[in-house]
Amino acid sequence: MTKVWKGGLVCAVYAFGLPAVGLVTVATPAQAQDRDSIPGVSLGLVYENQLQPTLAMQPFTGRFGGAGLAAEVEAIMGRDLRNSDRFEVMDSLPAGLVGDVLDYRLWDRLGAVMLVTGQVEGTGDGFILILELHDVVYGQVTERGRFRLPDAADPDYRMAVHRASDDIVRWATGAPGMAATRIAFTMTDADYNSEVYVIDSDGENLTRLTNFRSITNSPAWSPDGSKLAYSSFKTGLPRIYQLDLATGAEWTLPDVRGEGDYMAPSYSPDGQTLAFSILGNARSGVFTYNIARECCLTSLSGGQHYDLSPTYSPDGLKMAFNTNRFGDNVPQIMVMPAGGGDAETLSPYEYGGRGYYTSPDWSPVGDLVAFHGAVRRGTHHILVADMANDGRRLLQLTWEGNNEDPSWAPDGRHIVFVGERRWGFGLFVVDVASGRLRPIVSGRKVGLPDWSPPIGASN
Amino acid sequence: MIVRRFSVAVLAATLAVGACKGDPPPPPPPAPPMANQDSLQAYRDSVAQAEADARAAAARVAAERAEEAARTRAMAAARATLEAKVLFDYDVATIRSDQEALLRQKADILRASPTVQLRIAGHADERGSTEYNLALGNRRAAVIRDFLIGFGLAESRFSIVSFGEQQPAMTGSGEAAWAQNRRGEFQITAGANAINAGN
Repeated sequence: MTKVWKGGLVCAVYAFGLPAVGLVTVATPAQAQDRDSIPGVSLGLVYENQLQPTLAMQPFTGRFGGAGLAAEVEAIMGRDLRNSDRFEVMDSLPAGLVGDVLDYRLWDRLGAVMLVTGQVEGTGDGFILILELHDVVYGQVTERGRFRLPDAADPDYRMAVHRASDDIVRWATGAPGMAATRIAFTMTDADYNSEVYVIDSDGENLTRLTNFRSITNSPAWSPDGSKLAYSSFKTGLPRIYQLDLATGAEWTLPDVRGEGDYMAPSYSPDGQTLAFSILGNARSGVFTYNIARECCLTSLSGGQHYDLSPTYSPDGLKMAFNTNRFGDNVPQIMVMPAGGGDAETLSPYEYGGRGYYTSPDWSPVGDLVAFHGAVRRGTHHILVADMANDGRRLLQLTWEGNNEDPSWAPDGRHIVFVGERRWGFGLFVVDVASGRLRPIVSGRKVGLPDWSPPIGASN
Repeated sequence: MIVRRFSVAVLAATLAVGACKGDPPPPPPPAPPMANQDSLQAYRDSVAQAEADARAAAARVAAERAEEAARTRAMAAARATLEAKVLFDYDVATIRSDQEALLRQKADILRASPTVQLRIAGHADERGSTEYNLALGNRRAAVIRDFLIGFGLAESRFSIVSFGEQQPAMTGSGEAAWAQNRRGEFQITAGANAINAGN
């Protein structure tokens, strides 16, 4: 006797195995390639049909003053679970139709294999959210948890609900969620000033972090989510800064190498080291600086050519970066040891060929590197290279408009990027496994998104 | 005699000032106290001399002003040449042949103006990635600097910076705007008052 919905889960988990989904083997030279297509990517890629378990939410209830929040908490969580792209989330049903008593047979007939129930209880000092995940077919509770929620006016209120959503994802799939996260990015105004903003993963709480009235670029989260590094022209010359999000204190990377453009900071996974590029110097390229000890500038690569946009592998042993060493008009992605050394080309460069590949971001959990690129001028697409195959298998995630600057969510499955469409610019999130796309900021001149790690209660 | 000479000198000075300022003509000179031929001739000579001196002084001032104006014009022209932007082709950081003449003019001016220092800012059009365009702009600024250094100018007179695609000279999409936005810009950071036009 196997549980039916567990069978559904197995299918879903199989489909989640990223390398099995949508990755396309490199085209052999004999195959005719569209002259505008990206080498290694087949056009007309169709994602495998995924069987997603159907998840329903019993209308949340409340007591001891919690009833007023119940519907809103349920709505936030319902959207989070849809955004996780791991379930078919059923439209919520009115409480009067469903009734107060849990009726597994009703949900079974409606096609749900999982059910989430929730109760919000007032404590006099905030609320407790009691959640249960049910196996509808077997009519039993599979997981149960209690979550502290602050008052709805508290700035951490929505993030606390998102953390509960991520626990539902973990209970149901064993995989991390990404609801309790933020995305940092830049937004440019009519005077060409760009400031750093953050927004929650569900598109709420758009907040401006800087007000330098200057050009500020490349926000990057520290691995614990407590700090943001960025480069800014606010003193007139591009330098790198680190903002402590709790205190608002700003630290300036010293002029460790004199003149030059300091840009594109990125943290090592242990948070001890900042990698960045200095350009225009006697030796341009990627450098690291130990921010924990405030010392020890190290030159990793570069020289006459420019290396930039470094990104660490999750084990901290390697670094992908962008380089102009094949020519200014054919930037490519390369991978080198994190301490510097011989670099290998990751992007599908053919000597003497065209192709423009930049802005790498290494997945925080998987062996995948996202970047964007184009063969045809002006039309860039988001690409993912499978490092288990030396990057020789590529997945193309976008097919319309112009698409740049991918950044991985901590679930290793979603990517945020800048999309340019006929109607303007926006931030989009794409699910690497299903190809599903959703906009989170639309119509503003946005750029350089960086997805945060999970935002804990202390952040 | 001494008294008369003094009065003549005063008169001449009055005439000179009058000529210089372009005031209404001075009142007719009083008749000399002792009207003999010699003294009258001497008086006339001194008036003529004073008038000639005044004309010469005025001409000298006018010439100086013209020279000054020409110098200012030349300096402004040299400054405009120094600050004129240099355009680039798409996605490359090599000096376009039609931009070389301008850079040679800049080099001449810089050679004749040894205290002038320049900040060269590289820019890119909006196509391509934001971070890579910062690198491309930096490359363009560096290529301009290296071109100028090739004329024997000291590297220490130049600093470079890149704004990538983030400060377009012309808004909008399309080649007309992009062509103006792929550029190097020049800011005089020292010696702006000591620009010599060169040769």
